[in-house]
Amino acid sequence: MNEALVNKSSINKAAHKPFFLWKHLNKLRWLSLTIVFAMLVLIPFLHVYQTYVSAHTYDLLSGSEKQIYDAMEWLTSPFVDDPEDQLDALKGNTWSGTFGGVQLSDPLAVLGQLVSSQAFYWPFILTALIPVILTIFFGRFYCGWICPATFLYELNSNLAVLLRKSGLHMGNKRLDHRLKYVALAIGLAIAVITGSVAFAAIYPPAVIGREIYYAIALGGFGSGVVFFLLTLLFDLLVARRGFCRYLCPGGALYSLLGRFRLLRIKRIVESCNDCAKCTAVCEFGLDPLHDEFGQECNNCTACIAVCPTNAMTFYFSPQDIANQGPGHLGRKYKQNNSVFDQDNKMAEDA
Amino acid sequence: MRRRNFLQWAVYSTAALAAGATPFVLSRLLAPAERLLARRHLRPPGALKNDAEFVSACIGCGLCGEVCPPRCILFHQRDGGAQVNTPYINPEEKACTLCGKCTEVCPTDALMPIEREKVDMGVAQIDRSACYPWVDRGICGACVSICPLGEQAINFKQWNQYQPVIQDGCVGCGLCVEVCPHPSLPIRIVERSQGSVMRHTV
Repeated sequence: MNEALVNKSSINKAAHKPFFLWKHLNKLRWLSLTIVFAMLVLIPFLHVYQTYVSAHTYDLLSGSEKQIYDAMEWLTSPFVDDPEDQLDALKGNTWSGTFGGVQLSDPLAVLGQLVSSQAFYWPFILTALIPVILTIFFGRFYCGWICPATFLYELNSNLAVLLRKSGLHMGNKRLDHRLKYVALAIGLAIAVITGSVAFAAIYPPAVIGREIYYAIALGGFGSGVVFFLLTLLFDLLVARRGFCRYLCPGGALYSLLGRFRLLRIKRIVESCNDCAKCTAVCEFGLDPLHDEFGQECNNCTACIAVCPTNAMTFYFSPQDIANQGPGHLGRKYKQNNSVFDQDNKMAEDA
Repeated sequence: MRRRNFLQWAVYSTAALAAGATPFVLSRLLAPAERLLARRHLRPPGALKNDAEFVSACIGCGLCGEVCPPRCILFHQRDGGAQVNTPYINPEEKACTLCGKCTEVCPTDALMPIEREKVDMGVAQIDRSACYPWVDRGICGACVSICPLGEQAINFKQWNQYQPVIQDGCVGCGLCVEVCPHPSLPIRIVERSQGSVMRHTV
């Protein structure tokens, strides 16, 4: 009897912790999101700085322009000698951009361009190769770890929590997650009919990247900001992270590409105590407690971070495991298997 | 009686209709020949010739704008319809310097690297009834001195006379429009098919 108890408590205490930052992966993800967002803000400033340099107009700049010039010079001078040319290595946004000379594009941009122009232009298609391969391995990791819109959407859902605490009613409807495949199909159909990649105007990460550039370099936000504010309202009033879960065409494409992703999150049923914090914390409304991840999971690791018994882990498999039933530390499992009943009887007998 | 009323009604209504339509008909008849529209939405240099092709090839990433040294490349917003987020240059605000950086960076080759003499963004056109030297209001020559292509694109009519004349080599970059000091911008960029380099229609 004592052995059984000791074993159970040892499972509980010997935390599943493959490496030392294991419980902080979610913070690492936030760091990654912040870096991407900061880059999107920095790159337009670098461009403005480059235009000042190429025009040799330091003495003609106004005070605030001089501040931009000085700040960017201070930032970049340790790395580049000739900002006018060398800073061209870092351009663009997550929709398409050059990062250190490597051209990367969003797979959705490639797919949209392919159907709108109906021509294979290999140099451009190959720019999506690295993202596609990463997506096949890691699933919707882009949505959780890189997307600049996710950065704002998660802040927005934190805001929703605050508002809910202050007594306001925030919506949390569950729609059909297959809606986003319909959105993708409609977007592609529009691309075919109009012959333009028009749905880039309703794809939040592309919108964010562009609008930050417009605001900083071209002197004002464009029309995309209105759309983005509407999606923020949709997330607040209708469904938490609703746009990503139900409407985002890029999310649909990443879900399809990551259908048989290799890196998945698994619940270690032996050390799960059915507390359901993972289900509560999941931004995408999945149900880790009942082993429901599917192609929607973006490996954001929020459930790993929140789990009090360290029962969440990564594992490699092209398929999710079936529902493993209640966690072995939970009350339900104990009732079903009545280990403790026997223990109690034994104790009473003694 | 009834027929007479009806006839009266028909006559009156026809007259009313005619009176209403008169201004439109007159304006239609008296309107001058259609003026060439100044183009405020030039595509960046090296853009695909067919604009529909260009729009379908462009993904709206904004890279061309992000490398443009004079920051002249703007992007269509709601005004563009299906062309939303595709780049354009408004020479009246800021004109292209034909540096060709945008053509090098475009990931989809909607903008293709091209020699600056072979760029085709349109052709400049001068309104001789407004241009200061052409109406003897002084010496100007701003357009001639700014032109990146020099004599092959724009030149003075005669030596020592400061009346600018567009030449065959003009590629329509629009720098002349940007520097033109006249408030009504007598120099403008038009489609190459519409522009007559030698005739200079007003």
